[in-house]
Amino acid sequence: MSNINLKVADILDKNREALLDSWQQQLIVNTRVLVSEVGFNSIKSYSEQVLLSFIDSLTQDLSAEEDRFSQTRVLLKEFIAKIDFNNVDFVEVVNFILTLKSSVTNLLIKESDACISESILNLTSWFDDLTFYIFSICIETRESLIREQQRAFMDVSVPVVRLWNQILMIPLVGMLDSSRTQQMMETMLGALEDYQSRVAILDISGIPVVDTLVARHLITAASAARLMGAECIITGVRARISQTLVQLGVDLSGFITRSTLADGFATALKITGQQIG
Amino acid sequence: MIKKPQLNNKPVKPDNSNLIPIANFENVILGRQRVREMMNSLGFSLLDQTRIVTAVSELARNIVVHAGGCGEMIISAIEKNNKKGIECIFKDQGKGIADVNMALQKGFSTSNSLGLGLSGAKNLCQEFEINSVVGKGTQVTIREWVKR
Repeated sequence: MSNINLKVADILDKNREALLDSWQQQLIVNTRVLVSEVGFNSIKSYSEQVLLSFIDSLTQDLSAEEDRFSQTRVLLKEFIAKIDFNNVDFVEVVNFILTLKSSVTNLLIKESDACISESILNLTSWFDDLTFYIFSICIETRESLIREQQRAFMDVSVPVVRLWNQILMIPLVGMLDSSRTQQMMETMLGALEDYQSRVAILDISGIPVVDTLVARHLITAASAARLMGAECIITGVRARISQTLVQLGVDLSGFITRSTLADGFATALKITGQQIG
Repeated sequence: MIKKPQLNNKPVKPDNSNLIPIANFENVILGRQRVREMMNSLGFSLLDQTRIVTAVSELARNIVVHAGGCGEMIISAIEKNNKKGIECIFKDQGKGIADVNMALQKGFSTSNSLGLGLSGAKNLCQEFEINSVVGKGTQVTIREWVKR
């Protein structure tokens, strides 16, 4: 087994220059966007390093559990980290390794001897392994991007706006799930205390569907505000939402509701005994 | 060498019949959006859309909350007596409802909710059918016709 690996390594090492040449040519043809994104010099140096470490890994005598390509993986990861996935397609990144596979296979067929079939069999499994590795990094990269975006989205989801002396406004947007409600309550109650506010306006204009879950969250938030001696005004209750809420049987009669934020603000000024201008 | 799969480039055609697995709250949102799109194309008013989408939200969420996300919803455009309409079927393999009449009462809840979801959904739609077998699951069908 390891004898064949050594043999393959030997063939590859002897034809290294030619191999590199054929690989780089394939890269230019098959991964055009990737090459222009990363830059030809960078591709050139990485392909050289990857090939060297690949040949080097073949010469190592390892037990089955040990990772033959740990060095190569480090290089690949480093290389992929440089890629901006907004511009480059995953398929091109995967083709980075697959073009090497086809170059190596071609070379081995040319230099064929008795053990060629077994060495190509080995080769296939090695490259499959590396290909899957690249795929998994690509997916991981994308997933971490999604996670980051989610976090960024959560951060902006519940701003508290100080509209006027003693009057706060919390615009609610999108899906109001339990974790966001919790966050909304915490920011609202904290802000009520910090600004010594007496009125909190919850604006639901940006919530696409007001169902019983959203209603329950609103009631919870408004009750909590009341316990702190503040009044809650729910604004953005459009005609079709009010009709839907009545049919649902949701009772918001215990709370001040207004159809527009302007109305709600006027009411808030009245409650706090203030006037503008 | 592998070629880029062409799947990504094909626009997903709004089909006549749509099946959406309901496993989590994100699926509920997707279901709502699909229903809204279909109602829009069928010519429902904004009020009708809001009513039905709210009902869909309640019923789909019931699958997530009470059936542990083992279920699906099927949206179809339907026609009867020259009237166009939409039908949504909510199927789950949950524990079922022992007493459907009790579950349809206002304020009845086995979770920590307002207990208005099922009764409210019934009020919001023109046609509402519910079948439930304890231990097998629940199926709710709602239909709404375009008013002329």
